[in-house]
Amino acid sequence: MNSTKHFNILIIGAGPAGIGAAVALSKRGIKSIAIIERSDKVGGIPSFYKKKKGGVRTFIRWSRGGIPVFGEDYAQWLEKQLLKTKVQIELQTQVLNIDAKKKILTLVSPKEGEVNYSADAIVMACGSREETLAERGWLGGSRPVRVFFTKQLLCLLDGNHLLPMNNPLIIGSDLIGYAAAAKLKAAGASNAVIVDNRSGPKCGFFERLYFRLWSNPKYQGLSIKSIEITGNKTASGVKLNGKNIPCDGIVICGELIPNSELALNGNIKVELHSRKPVVAEDYQLSEPGWFAAGNMLGGFHGAEWCYFNGRRVARGVVNYLSQT
Amino acid sequence: MSCPGKLFYNWSDKDFDESLKFIDTEQLGNDPYDVTIIGAGVVGCALAYKLSLHKLRVLLLDKNYDVGEATSKGNSAIIHTGFDAAVGTLESELVTKASRGWPELAKKLKIPYEECGALLIAINDEQNSHLDNVYEKALKNGVTDVQLLSAEQALELEPQITKNVLRGILIPRESIADPFSTSIAFAEVALTNGVNILLGTEIIGVENANDKIKTLVTGCGKRIDTEIIINVAGLGSRKLADLYEGESFDINPRRGQFLIFDKYSRSAINRILLPIPTANTKGVLVIPTIFGNLIAGPTAEDFTINDNAVADTTVEQLQALLNGASKLYPGLYEQPVISTFSGVRCNCSQGSYWIRCNDGHQGIITVSGIRSTGFTSSPALAEYLISELHEKLGLNLEANPEAIDSRSESSWPGWWKRPYSNNELVKEFPEYGRVVCYCEQISHGEIIQQLDSPLKPRTLDALKRRTRAQMGRCQGFDCMVNVAEIVSNHCNIPLNKITKRGPGSEIISTNTLQY
Repeated sequence: MNSTKHFNILIIGAGPAGIGAAVALSKRGIKSIAIIERSDKVGGIPSFYKKKKGGVRTFIRWSRGGIPVFGEDYAQWLEKQLLKTKVQIELQTQVLNIDAKKKILTLVSPKEGEVNYSADAIVMACGSREETLAERGWLGGSRPVRVFFTKQLLCLLDGNHLLPMNNPLIIGSDLIGYAAAAKLKAAGASNAVIVDNRSGPKCGFFERLYFRLWSNPKYQGLSIKSIEITGNKTASGVKLNGKNIPCDGIVICGELIPNSELALNGNIKVELHSRKPVVAEDYQLSEPGWFAAGNMLGGFHGAEWCYFNGRRVARGVVNYLSQT
Repeated sequence: MSCPGKLFYNWSDKDFDESLKFIDTEQLGNDPYDVTIIGAGVVGCALAYKLSLHKLRVLLLDKNYDVGEATSKGNSAIIHTGFDAAVGTLESELVTKASRGWPELAKKLKIPYEECGALLIAINDEQNSHLDNVYEKALKNGVTDVQLLSAEQALELEPQITKNVLRGILIPRESIADPFSTSIAFAEVALTNGVNILLGTEIIGVENANDKIKTLVTGCGKRIDTEIIINVAGLGSRKLADLYEGESFDINPRRGQFLIFDKYSRSAINRILLPIPTANTKGVLVIPTIFGNLIAGPTAEDFTINDNAVADTTVEQLQALLNGASKLYPGLYEQPVISTFSGVRCNCSQGSYWIRCNDGHQGIITVSGIRSTGFTSSPALAEYLISELHEKLGLNLEANPEAIDSRSESSWPGWWKRPYSNNELVKEFPEYGRVVCYCEQISHGEIIQQLDSPLKPRTLDALKRRTRAQMGRCQGFDCMVNVAEIVSNHCNIPLNKITKRGPGSEIISTNTLQY
């Protein structure tokens, strides 16, 4: 292993929150900042919602509506902000482990292999993911192919121009689910059935009205204790209160959980069930010099919220640096 | 070195690799096989491995599109010492024998293996009264290194277990291993030694069963000649035995559901935690896995042979499982469950390890009822079967001096040896530094290496079992499409033709098109 490279600030994750923090910290005159991104591009989840003529624009301020945009456009705007700064961008770089006390990250990349980076302060903007079938606790049945998470659907639909199913069934009724239904319909699939274990959809009324421009999914909820996925090789439906709803593909949407495992591995305090990191004033984590931003904090926030949250976290980081 | 065997897939899609396609029986050579093994589960693969050390023409075939894809893929992954087996049975004998050979076998075949030990704990008076019987039974089974522990001693070894513990037994050699690598390693060495492997091929008929040379009819209408047939088809063994009028037996698949917990739970428990089996129930285990997770299970639910639900999971049973497992380790309630799975035990109503030589006709062996202990016993069972082949079926055994019995250092799974930690290797092959599966930290290079490995896995599930990509806490949320793209690019298969487990399980519906 090579010797440790030192930076003033390291930011883990180049999604909206990480970029927000990077841009704000750079504007405050901090010289050596590196942003570490495991995929091959910056922009995070919005970049998966591609721009398409006549395509579905979604909300970047999920929780509060706002003007619908193409995620890709917003990701490009974020990238532009980032490129204006002198922040060092490390793509295809995975953080393998952290040493919270010494503020060291062990990274691996094709360029450098395994290396150590250290910093005076570290911002974790690791984002979130959708809960697995098992984590949701009310989904059983078989394990066929064509049961996707939203991110997988986006990679196929927008990334590869492949429509994976004709009769979609969507599990999870928040904005992500309704957006998925609209995108599938726009790509040529039929109206989706949306299933959730609550009486009404999670997605707000006005957002649902907006997505009616493309699709009118049927909602199935109310007192569902558990549902069973059916299909031997490929998904063929779900069994719900003894009734089979047929489909040829399933999308598991929403129910975000923070990607807080790196923090956990470094013995930074994380609430185990929700996996939200324990945050003090100024978004500080339980180890001094560590901060969290964006959807890693938990909850269900749009890209724009995350970007501004990243900027707020940057203020906390500057406070911390001025005190030490 | 002997001439390596051939590998074929019964995969007719035009985009599938021509050199791996099974088109004609002539690809398998013109002479009849000495031995054909039907079923490439852990037992079939172990048998192919052991037979490949002799000068024989052997064919291993399976209806699935990978080895170890059915019963062998879903189990507790424990290498049993056999301490609690029924005394004096063949099962007990083979498990005990195999268990002693496992450390060396794992080293030779590069199978991740850890002697973690097990702790059997009694948490109520009824269980406590059974504890001495279990101890006596272990001694009778030749597992003499077991130790009786007081509550204090048990808590000292495993501080996180329930404070209700009354007494315990330590079984030091009870171990864990990678069940996926096991079938794969056996099959890879067999292939290297000249065994031919045919995947995706079901046998639907046996002709000339009375003759010395018998003919197997495949689902796609091809005919394969062989002198000896070994039926190790697991759940399919009953249907197969009917094709050659084998002795009657019944299979009642027994489902075992498991919960998989995330990796940070693993540091809490070091040993396999076992309840004391009582008259009513065998109980739920908490098991560390070689992959660094904890699992809890299994349930025991009986099914009929043709019920597809045997591989399903159910919400109610999994909740009951969590409650049961928490009696041993109360902290489990706090731990996030990342996934669940169902394993199916091949349970034979006429007794476990149902083995019939010259079954129905001379030259046919039926092996069924190999339950969860089959993973442990497979190498010993293979040796036992070979001695039966020699003694009862007259198979001539001559050692093959060119055969190898191990895999090379580079065969260790990437998740076990972490190729990216070797900076020289990353310099030479930068793809080992590009992580694709973020949760399990699996690199692009490891996926390519597996695609090019001797068994040429071509399905997402086959890759998952080899590399662990998609096996982590996000269950493929981040990497599934990326992995599919890598397979697509490397093997020249269009992305919409990539499958989870062979033809018919394409990730993209065949009726939809690019839009």
